[in-house]
Amino acid sequence: MIRIAQLSCGSEYSGIQKEIERAAETVGAKIVYPEVSLEDILNVESTFGVSVSSGDLNLAIARAVRIVQNPDLADAVIVMTCFRCAEAAIIRSEIRKYIHEHSKIPVLSYSFTERTKAETLLTRIEALVTTVKYRGLLAREKQKGLTAGIDSGSTTTKSVVMRDNEVIGTGWVPTTEVLKSADEALEAALKTAGVQKEEVSAIGVTGYGRFLVGKHINARLIQEEITVNSKGAVFLADAQKGPATVIDIGGMDNKAISVQDGIPGGFTMGGICAGASGRFLELTARRLGIDITELGKLALKGDFRNVAMNSYCIVFGTQSLVNSLSLGCKPEDVAMAACHSVAEQVYEQQLQEVDVKEPVIMVGGTSLIEGLPKAMEELLQVKVTVPKYAQYIGAVGAALLVSGLLED
Amino acid sequence: MAKVIVYPPTSMILSDLVERMGHKALVVPEAVRKLVTANEIDSPPLNVTPEEPKKGLRYAAVDVPSGVRGRMALIGPIIEEAEAAIIVEDPGWLTGCAGCSRTNELVRLLIRTKGVPVLDLSYPTNDAEARVFVQKIRAFLEDLL
Amino acid sequence: MLVTKYVITSSESNILPSDIAMKIYGSKYEVLVKETCFGVVINGEEEVINALIKEIRALDPAGIFIKDRGFPPGDPRRCRGRRGGGARPGFYMIESESKMLPMISRALASKGDIPAIPEKKKPLPIKRLEEIVKNGLS
Repeated sequence: MIRIAQLSCGSEYSGIQKEIERAAETVGAKIVYPEVSLEDILNVESTFGVSVSSGDLNLAIARAVRIVQNPDLADAVIVMTCFRCAEAAIIRSEIRKYIHEHSKIPVLSYSFTERTKAETLLTRIEALVTTVKYRGLLAREKQKGLTAGIDSGSTTTKSVVMRDNEVIGTGWVPTTEVLKSADEALEAALKTAGVQKEEVSAIGVTGYGRFLVGKHINARLIQEEITVNSKGAVFLADAQKGPATVIDIGGMDNKAISVQDGIPGGFTMGGICAGASGRFLELTARRLGIDITELGKLALKGDFRNVAMNSYCIVFGTQSLVNSLSLGCKPEDVAMAACHSVAEQVYEQQLQEVDVKEPVIMVGGTSLIEGLPKAMEELLQVKVTVPKYAQYIGAVGAALLVSGLLED
Repeated sequence: MAKVIVYPPTSMILSDLVERMGHKALVVPEAVRKLVTANEIDSPPLNVTPEEPKKGLRYAAVDVPSGVRGRMALIGPIIEEAEAAIIVEDPGWLTGCAGCSRTNELVRLLIRTKGVPVLDLSYPTNDAEARVFVQKIRAFLEDLL
Repeated sequence: MLVTKYVITSSESNILPSDIAMKIYGSKYEVLVKETCFGVVINGEEEVINALIKEIRALDPAGIFIKDRGFPPGDPRRCRGRRGGGARPGFYMIESESKMLPMISRALASKGDIPAIPEKKKPLPIKRLEEIVKNGLS
């Protein structure tokens, strides 16, 4: 049983404690609370560096200190506080950093509202548990034999076939019906690889449709996309040793993952705002009357500063873009402004919560829209790498990881 | 007998003194009891459900954190009932139902602006202060009779 | 309605939690009793509990304190054994206040005039500080 230490403030009073416990149970983990004394709580100014006015936050800090002093108390940590609480936001982030720097325990940080449900937490907690449970599997650096991976995403379904550490076939279809799209993507990948389905030793599945698809095709590995994508990213970018940061701006949610030796350390997953997704760029392309594949190259010629955007919102932000066009702004500036808007929102809302270390690897279909990695480079002031097969990242990660299961 | 709200709203010392001096202490555990003994709810540990933060909108706007609004759903109705209040200065170790400082600030504000008699005190640190503490509470409560 | 109360003794009281428990066991009251390290938890019908509290207080009027509790004794939703260990957050408040109980007990038991409390120290008047600085630097 994996023990997840909960360091939190406000979850019981937001009515979501049960949801946290339900998500943990689903992935075979148990929530625990490290024992601390009253003195431990009163001493956090000297042991941790600050004592705040909310006692429950000081209690969370004291528990964090205890875990660092005695890492055997927990296998993983979740730090959770109320969304929109400034005091808690500062402490949540500092606790996350403190545990990350002073222990090897994986830590997840999340701010909740009363609307947070177990389903929202599930992928995050599943990833946290995976990094504990399958450390050996995640340390695998080479794909062996003939395996396939499917990434059943919200917008597109991707598949690859790999043989002896090489991608030999790819398939890519828009997601319509989850199972049908998965079959089509796999078929396409098998066709380009020139192999029969029967020859494939094992299939790994990831993405939001993973449970359904995994059952349908009898997958050997069904895994959330945080661990799979980070594995795929460091494999393709040849950054399996040492630190790396993986950014995946998807159709429905975004992931920012801080990776060490191929294993996710901290990560954030956002997924509320369409303005911070690939959808925003699709809409911009449509407004500009061009194909999404042309948007990135067009953006590279533009300057976002020439367009006044007053919102990240997919409705109001897009309106700003349309207004600028009517005021005579150039399409390339508008294209870059859209890329900058998406990148900036991910930068502000997600990258602040992970330790951004080089190399920074951008993956997923949106990373092929050249303006987006460029906008991210400008914001982060570091080089951003987009590896080959970046759009197939989940499928590659799944094919790689599932080959590890064959040997065990 | 007056209904006296105490702050911190989970204080054993204050609620004991109020009750032993013949008044009714309004405290959070009573609100918690209503929730945890309600059979139809199953949201451990406190049986606070996402409905409580919504009920808390009566006291704080939607941009106030859910934990504050959830706590206010427990404490707010008690403030409404109060006929007098004893407020002890924050000692720096309030946890649990009183573990959120933002909630505590709102609670103190709502008590003070309600217009009921309020006694302000600090927790005693020695015997002399403890005697004054008890004496002031006694005098305040006697005046309420 | 069933209610639950903590009965907490001051550390200087001659009454032990076990004395209180024995008193309840030997009484006519039908209540649930659970001993803890700092006192006992009692659960029963409100009127019964209120009557019982009067008798318990009489054991040591200044040394026994009563606190309301939301959860029934041993409730699995709050039991640390079933909920991954660690004291519930509110426990630390009881612990903090318990440390003050001897002082409060003595105050409750004391008679006679209330002692004058020396005023809290005020910051040094700025004029005086100026003089000290000048003298210190000269």
